Amino acid sequence: MEEDILTTLKILIIGESGVGKSSLLLRFTDDTFDPELAATIGVDFKVKTISVDGNKAKLAIWDTAGQERFRTLTPSYYRGAQGVILVYDVTRRDTFTRLDNWLNELETYCTRNDIVKMLVGNKIDKENREVDRNEGLKFARKHSMLFIEASAKTRDGVQCAFEELVEKIIQTPGLWESETNNRGVRLSNEDGGGRGGSCSGYCSVL
Amino acid sequence: MAADSDPESEVFEITDFTTASEWERFISRVEEVLNEWKLIGETSNKPPEKGEYTSGVWEEKGDEILFADFRFSIRHHYLVQEAGEREETEDTGEDSIPVCMQDLLCTNNDFPPVAHCLVRWYGLREFVVISPAANDAVISESKCNLLLSSVSIALGNTGCQVPLFIQVHQKWRKLYVGECQGPGVRTDFEMVHLRKVPNQYTHLSGLLDIFKSKIGCPLTALPPVNIAIRFTYILQDWQQYFWPQQPPDLDALIGGEIGGLEIGKLPFGACEDPICELHLATTWPCLTEGIIVDNDVYSDLDPLQAPQWSVRVRKADNPQCMLGDFVSEFFRLCRRKESTDELLGKSTFEENGKEVADISQALSKLTEPAPVPIHKLSVTSMVHSARKKIRKHRGADESPLNNDVLNAILFFLFPDAKSLDGSEAKASTSTGNISSQSESEDYNLYSQLKSAPSDSLTYKLALCLCMVNFYHGGVKGVAHLWQEFVLEMRYRWENNFLIPGLANGSPDLKCCLLHQKLQMLNCCLERKKGRDEGKKGSPSSSEAAANRTPSDTLSPGEANKYEVAKSWDSWSDSEDEFFECHSDTEELKEGSQESARKAKEETKENPLPKPEGRLHQSGNLTLLRTGEPLYIPVTQEPAPMTEDLLEEQSEVLAKLGTSAEGAHLRARMQSACLLSDMESFKAANPGCCLEDFVRWYSPRDYIEEEVMDEKGNKIVKGELSPRMKIPNNMWVEAWETAKPIPARRQRRLFDDTKEAEKVLHYLAVQKPADLTRHLLPCVIHAALLKLKEEEAAEDVPSGRKAIKQIISHSSKVLRFPSPDDKKLEDVIGQMLNVEATIARARSLKAKFAVDRCEKSDEKEDLEKFVSSLLEQPEVPIVGAGRGPAGTIIHKMFVSAQRALSLAPLEEEPKRPSSSDERRQTGTDFPSPAGREVILRSSVPRPAPYSKLLPQRMYSVLTKDDFRLAGAFSSDTSFF
Repeated sequence: MEEDILTTLKILIIGESGVGKSSLLLRFTDDTFDPELAATIGVDFKVKTISVDGNKAKLAIWDTAGQERFRTLTPSYYRGAQGVILVYDVTRRDTFTRLDNWLNELETYCTRNDIVKMLVGNKIDKENREVDRNEGLKFARKHSMLFIEASAKTRDGVQCAFEELVEKIIQTPGLWESETNNRGVRLSNEDGGGRGGSCSGYCSVL
Repeated sequence: MAADSDPESEVFEITDFTTASEWERFISRVEEVLNEWKLIGETSNKPPEKGEYTSGVWEEKGDEILFADFRFSIRHHYLVQEAGEREETEDTGEDSIPVCMQDLLCTNNDFPPVAHCLVRWYGLREFVVISPAANDAVISESKCNLLLSSVSIALGNTGCQVPLFIQVHQKWRKLYVGECQGPGVRTDFEMVHLRKVPNQYTHLSGLLDIFKSKIGCPLTALPPVNIAIRFTYILQDWQQYFWPQQPPDLDALIGGEIGGLEIGKLPFGACEDPICELHLATTWPCLTEGIIVDNDVYSDLDPLQAPQWSVRVRKADNPQCMLGDFVSEFFRLCRRKESTDELLGKSTFEENGKEVADISQALSKLTEPAPVPIHKLSVTSMVHSARKKIRKHRGADESPLNNDVLNAILFFLFPDAKSLDGSEAKASTSTGNISSQSESEDYNLYSQLKSAPSDSLTYKLALCLCMVNFYHGGVKGVAHLWQEFVLEMRYRWENNFLIPGLANGSPDLKCCLLHQKLQMLNCCLERKKGRDEGKKGSPSSSEAAANRTPSDTLSPGEANKYEVAKSWDSWSDSEDEFFECHSDTEELKEGSQESARKAKEETKENPLPKPEGRLHQSGNLTLLRTGEPLYIPVTQEPAPMTEDLLEEQSEVLAKLGTSAEGAHLRARMQSACLLSDMESFKAANPGCCLEDFVRWYSPRDYIEEEVMDEKGNKIVKGELSPRMKIPNNMWVEAWETAKPIPARRQRRLFDDTKEAEKVLHYLAVQKPADLTRHLLPCVIHAALLKLKEEEAAEDVPSGRKAIKQIISHSSKVLRFPSPDDKKLEDVIGQMLNVEATIARARSLKAKFAVDRCEKSDEKEDLEKFVSSLLEQPEVPIVGAGRGPAGTIIHKMFVSAQRALSLAPLEEEPKRPSSSDERRQTGTDFPSPAGREVILRSSVPRPAPYSKLLPQRMYSVLTKDDFRLAGAFSSDTSFF
């Protein structure tokens, strides 16, 4: 089995506290939902192997704490990540407005600039939505990210989000080849385009 | 199919495709390949444009065929043409001859600068060559004929109209014979190759004679022969003054300059002229027989009068370039296995060796009363005394680095050492230059290359080590400098002097590991300083500053006297060491006064401990239970991390696995910071509860709702979020165990002493080879900046492009933790190429005196000419011998000829008139190194009533090589 694996990818999940980062991860890795998931301390770590277009990729996913105070601790883990999932809560506008800060953080601490970014609006199962889907789309387009809305509770969009991210990483040349523990930075510009998607119309590649 | 339609075939008959002999098999294989490559039938392409053979794209296909067990390779060379549809047209009529025969007469691409020799000789746009695959050669005449017959049969069978050549004799002779067949026409390609030139063929009239006799024209009046001639002259003697660059004077040592090289600068340029020859081609593209006379006694072919001039330069194959040498010499250190101690001699460094080599000893040394006289020492004096120690053992002569050089380098690396001890040394000028680059694209290059900022200590160290390696003692010098550097680091650590040239804050993960380590050391220093100052208060530090006077005379023995003076017992690393923060002392006073006042008011009901370690009030928040304002506490700062530590830590965390227990353990491991914050919070806010803490720490986990109480008043009711209320979750658990302790009395989360010792140990055990690997990115970075700078001065577009490519290439290579040596060599090789290109540009500019040109438009033309010389294989000269560039070239040849004939310059009067000049030009140029002549004509062969067909003969004559390449066509209709 191990030999089949094309590559190991480091994925990072960031966002304000309480937006459901750990829940999204739990849904993805164990396909369960726990409404009473303790607040993450520092960083947590999960592994899952997925297959995208026949390519098996092992994902090492680092889940981070969203609290302001932990932010001095977590950026160290940004190093060498190939993909990042930026999560906000569609029912709390403040978690959406703080996205800019997270992007800055990413820019500052990420060691490469071709990292693939995905924006996930979580908790769409809830009724008291405060952030419209179009706003999310607009933000993602502005910052050339992948975008999807999801619910860890109802499992809508979760699998798709991870798959799309991985597919995009694999399509980005030089991002993952030959090394699992990449250091340093690549020169190439932000990935410009290339519609990649087998994903039932959920994801918008911008 | 044809067999079917034949009535005879209905009779039982076998169509036999078996091939009997090796020869037949060979022929059918050739046919097969021609078919496979679709070379059958006619093409109707336009004649090639002028110069298309040079500007267009040539491609080739290859295959292998066997004749018995003899291997041949068959290759198809062709010019890619746009509308190259190969069609079997029938309407073109019988008159059309194959395109390749038409090419024989086309004058658009005579003398192409770069082309396959057959293209040059016959002007073909397409051909197939069969040559022996290995180093074999077809030498015997019968074999050659056999091959030629095979070719002829294959062409006839397939109807292929592409000329097919076979290479005969030794490969180096480039001897080909071939054939081309069209409907009713055939061209035979023949060749003569001689070492010695028969005298009658050295001039045009002799060549015309052979051409005519070969054609054997049946007409009485031969149609006119079209003639194209090119003479090539070689200039080798450039005269010394055309080469401006002087190799640096290696022995000079003037001020900051060492070896002609300022510290922190890189050398640049070629040591020898990177342009070794200039080839001038003078061309008469279109002459007719009779217009011009060229025989063994007289010639009209004066190069100065030639209508076309073009120039190419021959570049020195591997010019020795200083920057390239500098960097590759440094890179070579990677393969040295010796450790610093081995290189410098173990016994010579015993005393220091002990303390550096073994971390446990180093630590134990710290717990002992140390004999380091801190007050009395300055940076330089410490370095001096340490060096004295080393030298005492080694003996001054053996020291690989000379004292002046070492001092100059150390002052360059640590400019603050001067201000610290007030010595008279002047400020280094180069530091200012480097730091002025901030914020530019160049400045940020370090993050792409994973090196270090160009104004940083690490970067400068890399340059110094590079220079020491090149000019001062090679690997031993490197080891020596490194040893001094490590000593300086230890000195600074022990004496609380921050390391200069490093950005503040935690290690920058975008930089190389060594840079991160140095930053880490600085972080430790900062913490230690903060702690010491907090403990001692201001008087001690000012006292220490006042006592900083140079005391070079101090010997290690004497130093013991100063034991008492050992400051601040700051490096003891006992378990009960507390984190101490200077900044909170004032707050403490203020806070305590305030709380004392408040405590007085409330003390009756609820005696609370005195609050400690408050930073500031958090908005309008008040504690839920006591109603006191909520204070944000002073907290411990998180531990700075270098990438190797981080790697280690994340590995540990990852190893815990993904199980629930693993996750729990992981959280516990990371909860130290949370716990410390809780303790600080508790100390700052007596009587607080978890809800208070959460409101500061994770506000979203405190949910407030407006509810109506019984009286109908709106009140805000808050509670913890469900996840914080999970029984026994880590937060609750930590909260319960947390004791109210202010940050300064907590155990340190970050043990600066231990970390600093780790860094110092790490530095001490680096071998020169390790250092090279650490610092190579910085050196490459510096070299790239140097290339950019030189390119900008010279404006070489091709160089600019190449530099961009190198940056992108090297950033990919250096991204990996231990880059492949081969790839690094590639990068260095690429840089060397760019350096050579720039050096060539410089050399050419000097030779053509671009800078001295007064007229601006001429200057522009000259500049354009020089840059195209570098980029194009051959550059036409506008105005031939009369244009500005032509005049300069003419002068070069004249002066070279003069030098050759040893004629003193004074005796030669200035040429007065042009008519005079014309007579003398014979001596202006050497005899041509190459004479090429193309003769062309359309002649009916073999009979007067045959078709008018292209005939061509090319001849080239060099010093010891003579070649005639003829293509003679004949009408095969009735013969």
